[in-house]
Amino acid sequence: MNTTLTVVVLSSIGFFSGLMIYVVSKVLPKEDKSLAEAARIKEFLPGADCGACGHPGCFAYAQAVAHDKQVFAKTPCPVLSQDKDGMKRLEDYLGLKAEAGVGKKAVVHCTGGSHAIADYIGVQTCAAAVQLASGFNECPYSCIGLGDCVRVCPTGAMSIDQEKHVAVVDWETCIGCGLCVAACPQGLTELIPADTPQYLACNYQVKRDIPGRKRCPDGCIHCHICEKVSLEGAVTWDEKKDLPIFHVDQIDTAIEKCPRHVIRKTAAYEEKEEAVGSVQETN
Amino acid sequence: MNNLFVIFFSMALVNNMILAKFLGLCPFFGVSKKTKSAVSMGLAVLLVMLVASAVTWPIYYYILVPYGVEVMKTVIFILVIASLVQIIEMAIKRTNLTLYNALGIYLPLITTNCAVLGITFINVDQTYTFLESVFAAAGAGSGFLLVLLIMSGIRERLELSDTPIAFKGTPIAFITAMLLGLSFLAFQGMV
Repeated sequence: MNTTLTVVVLSSIGFFSGLMIYVVSKVLPKEDKSLAEAARIKEFLPGADCGACGHPGCFAYAQAVAHDKQVFAKTPCPVLSQDKDGMKRLEDYLGLKAEAGVGKKAVVHCTGGSHAIADYIGVQTCAAAVQLASGFNECPYSCIGLGDCVRVCPTGAMSIDQEKHVAVVDWETCIGCGLCVAACPQGLTELIPADTPQYLACNYQVKRDIPGRKRCPDGCIHCHICEKVSLEGAVTWDEKKDLPIFHVDQIDTAIEKCPRHVIRKTAAYEEKEEAVGSVQETN
Repeated sequence: MNNLFVIFFSMALVNNMILAKFLGLCPFFGVSKKTKSAVSMGLAVLLVMLVASAVTWPIYYYILVPYGVEVMKTVIFILVIASLVQIIEMAIKRTNLTLYNALGIYLPLITTNCAVLGITFINVDQTYTFLESVFAAAGAGSGFLLVLLIMSGIRERLELSDTPIAFKGTPIAFITAMLLGLSFLAFQGMV
């Protein structure tokens, strides 16, 4: 075997490979300019990849914004809009103002008042537990409390109340991405407009009643009193579930009159209270 | 034709790259935590294996053998496969962005993956013809994809199950791999 030949073969193949890379890079169409722009925009985004904006991940959103800046103006990143400084940096970079929407927040329609009627030693997820006889709680609609929603939450807004075994949402950190809505096998989490002052903390659907399983002492008894005492249109009735739906109007009388005290106030309620209080003070 | 299918299935199941030949173990443990990334990685390996086999075969038989420099095959195959992966990555990035997002980050990882280099050596050792080499690569790639998919499915469930604390994470993954290898042992002697 010839040493020179070895060197020649190796270097010529190496040279040819290098040449091929060069030729291919020249022949192929140029890289999409918006891609580099999208990479720069992504630097401003929080990188939660939650999909709350309706795009599959932060980079896809950055690409959409790079193509059309109005996407950001109309549907600003819901995670970023929690952070005023970060929002301003991206607004300055793009040179436009984003419409500040109300946004959405998650609520859990359960008080956790139902107690366990069986020991569960299976796979420790809600989805697995529900498949076994609608969960191990007395109420078949109740929160299982094994934290499927906690695991999917990108910001850690979800937690399990260890005392009552029920999921609770921290509205301060909730970004309204809706991942917990998809994760809950009981369908207890729901996104509501962030200025809704109250929500029903129960999901007991009498029309889908399960024999031998009762609602908890806190559960809605479908008495319609909240509908009766409130202004027209403030409370509507979901006939399918046989449960009331609350809207943005504050319904103090209903919260007081509810025989089970199952209408819970949200963070938005307290804000409104404070606003009223401060007006009175200035007067 | 029959011969080609025998090669395909023997490379996919009997002589599985991971479980029988112990090649490509780093992605087997590194990228098998989630099914989605495992599938992307498996597809990228399949693609690179196919192209690498198709390119290294003529280089070996038309350049290395006539000049009598077969000893150089390791370094030359590495060189060729590395530049090939560069070209593929560039081509995918410029033409199909969706595919790039799915495969792109895994392609540079496997430039000189031992499973990819391994299949080209197997082709040479077994003196396969060109078509046989391509089928062997397709079989090896599909086998790799299959095992990665099975492993990731099991590991996703392991995350939720009640494993002893000492075994949590990688140790239980090693034990799972052992059991998976034992079950694939049943294919021995089929071809």
